[in-house]
Amino acid sequence: MVVIAMGEAAPAVTYWAERVEQRSDDGGSMNLAEVINGHDADTVALIDGDDSVTYGALRGRVAAMQADLNGRGVGVDTSVALVTGNDVAFVVASLAVLGLGGVVMPLNPGSPTSELARKLSVAEPIMALVGNAGRLHLGDPAVGTQTVDLIEMLVDATSAQESADGPTDVLVVDRDPDDPAFYMATSGVSGAAKVAVLSHHNLGWIHEALSQVDPPLTAADVVLGSLPFTHIFGLNVVMLATLQVGGTIVLQQRFDAEESLRLVQRHSVTTLTGAPPMWKRWLEADVPDDSMASVRWASSGAAALPIELFEGVRDRFGIEIAQGYGLTETSPVVTLGRGAPVRPTSVGKVLPGVEVALVDESGTPVDFGDEGEIVVRSPGVFVGYLHDQETTDAVISDDGWLWTGDVGIFDEDGYLYLVDRIKDIVIVSGFNVYPAEVENVLIQHPGVTGVIVTGAADETTGETVVAHVSGTATREQLEALAAEHLSRYKRPTQYSFLDELPIAANGKPIRRALR
Amino acid sequence: MAASAPASASATASFRFELAPDLPGADRVSKYVFGAIRTLTSKLWDFRIEGRENVPLEGPAIITPNHLSFCDSVFVPAALPRRVWAIGKGEYMDSWKTKHIFPAMGMIPVDRSGGDAAQAALDTAADVLDQGRLFMIYPEGTRSRSGDLHKGRTGAARLAIRCNAPIVPTGHVGTVDVQPPDSFVMKPGKPVTVRFGAPMWAHEFGDPEDPRTLRRFTDAVMFEIAELSGQRYVDSYAGKSAETPDTPTPAPEQTPVTPRRPSVVGPHGGVGSRPTRPAMRPVAAGEAGQPIGVPRGRRVPASAEA
Repeated sequence: MVVIAMGEAAPAVTYWAERVEQRSDDGGSMNLAEVINGHDADTVALIDGDDSVTYGALRGRVAAMQADLNGRGVGVDTSVALVTGNDVAFVVASLAVLGLGGVVMPLNPGSPTSELARKLSVAEPIMALVGNAGRLHLGDPAVGTQTVDLIEMLVDATSAQESADGPTDVLVVDRDPDDPAFYMATSGVSGAAKVAVLSHHNLGWIHEALSQVDPPLTAADVVLGSLPFTHIFGLNVVMLATLQVGGTIVLQQRFDAEESLRLVQRHSVTTLTGAPPMWKRWLEADVPDDSMASVRWASSGAAALPIELFEGVRDRFGIEIAQGYGLTETSPVVTLGRGAPVRPTSVGKVLPGVEVALVDESGTPVDFGDEGEIVVRSPGVFVGYLHDQETTDAVISDDGWLWTGDVGIFDEDGYLYLVDRIKDIVIVSGFNVYPAEVENVLIQHPGVTGVIVTGAADETTGETVVAHVSGTATREQLEALAAEHLSRYKRPTQYSFLDELPIAANGKPIRRALR
Repeated sequence: MAASAPASASATASFRFELAPDLPGADRVSKYVFGAIRTLTSKLWDFRIEGRENVPLEGPAIITPNHLSFCDSVFVPAALPRRVWAIGKGEYMDSWKTKHIFPAMGMIPVDRSGGDAAQAALDTAADVLDQGRLFMIYPEGTRSRSGDLHKGRTGAARLAIRCNAPIVPTGHVGTVDVQPPDSFVMKPGKPVTVRFGAPMWAHEFGDPEDPRTLRRFTDAVMFEIAELSGQRYVDSYAGKSAETPDTPTPAPEQTPVTPRRPSVVGPHGGVGSRPTRPAMRPVAAGEAGQPIGVPRGRRVPASAEA
């Protein structure tokens, strides 16, 4: 008797989204600065504290700042660094530079000077516009780039706009869609500063695709802008996408959970986007339970959202957080939870127009129901890393697929679930062990404050699992916990107890330092 | 649970529970046939059984042995303390040689030609388990030619979740010497050992709604099977090209130089043009065409070098 297995007869399938061909109907030129044009001049675009800026006023300030910037030598193809928080200055300056045909390089104003200098040295912008949040860096020769006081420029632009009679037109230079719009410094943990080049079309295409999601963002939406605009998620999904539909952004320069929820209530915010640490603080915030009553859409990105957090927010505030997935290199949306019923542990479904495949090392799509490396092809896939063809060639194939380095799996309905980073996988006796799974078990011990799992060479099993732990838990306690929750080959065979774990500034573990 | 053996399948091979409320092989004659097989295996071979106490004596359970030889399907059932059922090719019902003996041994024929054969098999298996019986399935899907234990298919895990049944990992040694591949006779006198591991439950491996749970559970079962059979585990499916693990996989051929990003470099719509909402659809790998290109400068993941 030969027995056939269920899986054997199943066809080899993986999930893809259908390609969407791009139509060319505007002569092949575009400029992202167009996002603020065409909206009602009296609609409020930005709310920053007590200051409300209408689209009309915003256009006036952008135009006034363009005159100023142009006088300082900013024009087509010049790049300008922007070192400021989520404020009006950020929005005005970035649109002014884009409109002039320049390239914007947003940088985290909270970074140490040495890190700023390192990133600036890759792109060599002609100047760095420094706002309130980055004042420390103003005039510091260690930055290595000429710094300009952005607040002063904004004050001048505002008074120019207020004294002007009638609306002013924003100067919008025609750009080739593939021309760079933003230089995004990526928080690579590999050590080397990488700067991703994103074109006008990369970012603009994401807005088109998002408009296909039901329900789409509309001019009636009020969006909380507390995710940093210096990061692609905050920049494109929160700031630019909201402006593009003519909605309102409530700016929050420095994240404060109670304060942001007061803003949500005061301005009837409809759309709330955050990263898991922000959601954690919102959940723990000392505010009334109906603080999120106006919120119609809540999402989370940048890292995995723990299920306890999802359930906590749902039980307390009555909203379901939808996760999304994306990378700087994909502008950033690959999958999102919007437009379909939320599955708490999934990062959602593929954005219309994005192709996603799960593949093995040779690029062959894996069988359905199997884990594979996520590869993405879409018009949002970036141009490449600035002055770094080698790294670019390591992530984009000749046929346009971006290899993300993330391992994922689809369920039967096309929801994507993330597993781990492919380079972090530990192979024990031929079996894949995902450090994230082991870490999630060990961190549950109350005596553990942090844990990083890596692999080490082993004579009999090839590799073995090593747990690097900080906290007061003992090896015996952790072994008991692992025995309860993990298959034998996933249990750490070596424990190292450290006072402090190597964690990068962006919160990601530096595994390299532990191997 | 509704039995949904393939209704469209040819009449000779389809099996319907509505027509035959009892499972094939549950009749008295089959019981003697099976008893005879059990006696024969212990007389003709040096047959050892370990861990039989791990097989539940009542209630449903899924037996998942490694698969090396045609005769695995004789030795594993013979080692069990209860009757076991499994899915077999519908074609066996067309031959006089097999049409009586195989069902007597617990084979449920499922037609592989019609419609969704995998779903029909799954439904049939679920019916067996829902009756509180033992069901056997080879998680590797087919025999391992290399002798290594291959990556497990997730069907058994799906069944375990659907029917709330435990999986009993099973490993055996020696069957390939009794009947090597492509051999039609079973050589007597050889030693054969079948080992059963402790039952494993899906709910210990995470949320059953999450697709990651299926793989996690399946891998854990395969690990136990490897421990019981002493085989080396390789993380690729049996029957695929990568089955000869000692031969390094040839480097994928670089396609001739094409425009670097054809999907992006082409004509642009710019802001304003609207893509139509595409439907998600499963695409067979073959239909999708060639494998996806590997970045030319791609570095092998650190862990894969080990």
